[in-house]
Amino acid sequence: MPVIEVSHLTKEYRLGALQGLKQTLLNTSARLMGKQVPERPLFKALDDVNFSIEQGEVVGIIGHNGAGKSTLLKMLARISTPTSGSVKVNGRIAPLIEVGAGFVPDFTGRENVYLNGAILGMSKQEIEKKFDEIVDFAEMAEFIDTPVKRYSSGMQVKLAFAVATSIESNILIVDEVLAVGDLAFQRKCFDRMEDLIKRQGRTVLLVSHNIRQVERLCTRVILMNHGKIAQDGSSRYVCNKFYEASDKQIHETKNSAIKARTESSGDVELESVTLLDASGMQSTYIEHLQDIDFQIKYKVKNTLSDPIFGVGIHTTDFLYLATSQSLGELKPGTLPPGLYTLNYKVRRFPFLPGVYSLRLGVALGGSFQPVYYSENVLPVQVISRSINRAVVGHGNEGFLSLEGSWSINIDHSMNERSHDEAQILSSN
Amino acid sequence: MLTVAKNLYDYRELMATLAWKNIAMRYKQAYLGIAWAIIKPVTLMLIFTLVKSFVGIESGDIPYPILVFAALMPWTFFQESTSEGVTSVVGNTALIKKIYFPREIFPITSVLTKLVELGINFVILAGLMAWYQMMPTVYILWVPLIIAYTILAALTIAFVGAAVNVYYRDVGAALPVLLSLLMYASPVIYPLQLVKDKLLVQQAAGEWSDMLYTLYTLNPLAGIIDAFQSVVLRGTPPDLSAMISGAIMIAILLPLSYLYFKRAESSFADVI
Repeated sequence: MPVIEVSHLTKEYRLGALQGLKQTLLNTSARLMGKQVPERPLFKALDDVNFSIEQGEVVGIIGHNGAGKSTLLKMLARISTPTSGSVKVNGRIAPLIEVGAGFVPDFTGRENVYLNGAILGMSKQEIEKKFDEIVDFAEMAEFIDTPVKRYSSGMQVKLAFAVATSIESNILIVDEVLAVGDLAFQRKCFDRMEDLIKRQGRTVLLVSHNIRQVERLCTRVILMNHGKIAQDGSSRYVCNKFYEASDKQIHETKNSAIKARTESSGDVELESVTLLDASGMQSTYIEHLQDIDFQIKYKVKNTLSDPIFGVGIHTTDFLYLATSQSLGELKPGTLPPGLYTLNYKVRRFPFLPGVYSLRLGVALGGSFQPVYYSENVLPVQVISRSINRAVVGHGNEGFLSLEGSWSINIDHSMNERSHDEAQILSSN
Repeated sequence: MLTVAKNLYDYRELMATLAWKNIAMRYKQAYLGIAWAIIKPVTLMLIFTLVKSFVGIESGDIPYPILVFAALMPWTFFQESTSEGVTSVVGNTALIKKIYFPREIFPITSVLTKLVELGINFVILAGLMAWYQMMPTVYILWVPLIIAYTILAALTIAFVGAAVNVYYRDVGAALPVLLSLLMYASPVIYPLQLVKDKLLVQQAAGEWSDMLYTLYTLNPLAGIIDAFQSVVLRGTPPDLSAMISGAIMIAILLPLSYLYFKRAESSFADVI
């Protein structure tokens, strides 16, 4: 029997503000006279959501901001009621929705533990029994009789987390709470969550933007998009889908955005940039470790003598990753006004899958005076058919892959056996 | 009705804790602490006694200061628990948006909080009675019933007011004005006997007198205050005839008020 059953769950909100007296009176009189009154438009925060969760399942809910994750949790925790559809929950729910709701600043830590425990549904004996454990976990023994308003924000969150996770409920709802405190405490929180999940066999619903965390803790992940369930399946599969969608979204926004930071002397202008793949076909993305050709068209307006061209790759947050320039490799001579096509070929493009951007520059030979410079010219999406994003994640695992080869040898001084016999080789 | 009682029982510890929170919060970092609970009725008693010395109000054989204090006790309790109850839901926005428990706990807790302050005022009342050498009679056993009735009257306004206040904050702003008007329509400054004499005995409004009196006692506070004074000070049973119309009104309006609150409750978190 499922512990949580959600069927055809829909939640609508009316957009705009509650109307004042004047507007209400005007609308009412208009309605009485049989006229049409403009209704405030509806917004579907959740749109026909269906799923069920079995006892002991650990389910992550991910999605972009505004995808409906928190609304869904509110429905499950009974804080808000659905417009239509139903939510069935069998068992006690402990909502860890933003820990520390209901802390009273003037109260001491001790008083707040009792208050917060009662609010979360613990009985007095239950709190008394667990009090020492809570204080101990939060590392607050020294400050427990100090008003909470004198605590640092980290201390408050630690105490709140300790109270909230000590509730004995068979369903735990967690909304973005693991990102609390310093690194050591985060580690502790994470361990506690794992303990709750793995050893106590509780059913857990975890909402987070930290996809790696979700992937590690959950067995099943639901990906929400615009109030609907976009994916529901094993955590690795759904997380990969989410990474892909995320990259695509960045790619699309950059494509439509106006190019940033261009400085030009007016002598030369950029006409277009095109990506050509290994077979010379125009492409919108680059494949990891495949050859790529950047075809850049410049329009020269005034004669340039011996220009130097530059091409660079940077991340979407402007970390310069690579810069190449043509000095010493390309001798263009003097370029009279006209349209020119510059090609820059890169063999085995080394950047890991993700979204990058291009920067371009032109300088005069001899004086090195820049005549054209532009950043964020073109978003470059790198994809890979072979690398699993769950293993190699952008931003966490770096940007580049090195072309190396691996080997392992037994040390000769310790071992009499011959070199060749013991060598084990593996190559990338 | 049964679910109401069950909820009340299930959440009794939470209500006790929240009431303790309300009280403690009010008096933390206040030098006078809980003494603030008695300052309001005592001050009003002194002012009214002063006013009385100018205008002359017939108070019977009971000394006016203690008569007015005995009127102020149920009145202050009613007034404060009503206004706290009405603002209780909006005042707990943070909790409403994060955690679910039956929302009627908020108005009920507000009333419970005020019950503690009422208890403190009983100490003052006992002191005054000792000063005037008045002995309590057996009729004092009516007091819990009268207070329970006052609680129901306060909740009647608190439930519907708290729910509407979520949508329109006007309620919270209008209530103090309305309540201070209601005080003059209740026998706080003057004893109910004065109204009875004018309307029932002297028939001051002619043939309308009896109807006016019924209208006056439609205000439950009229009966409550008079009954409280009777059982505590006069040593007589409460005048039930002054309570009937008010009690009927409460019996009709309280369930409606509660049902409205429960209906509105589900959208509190969305609207607040």
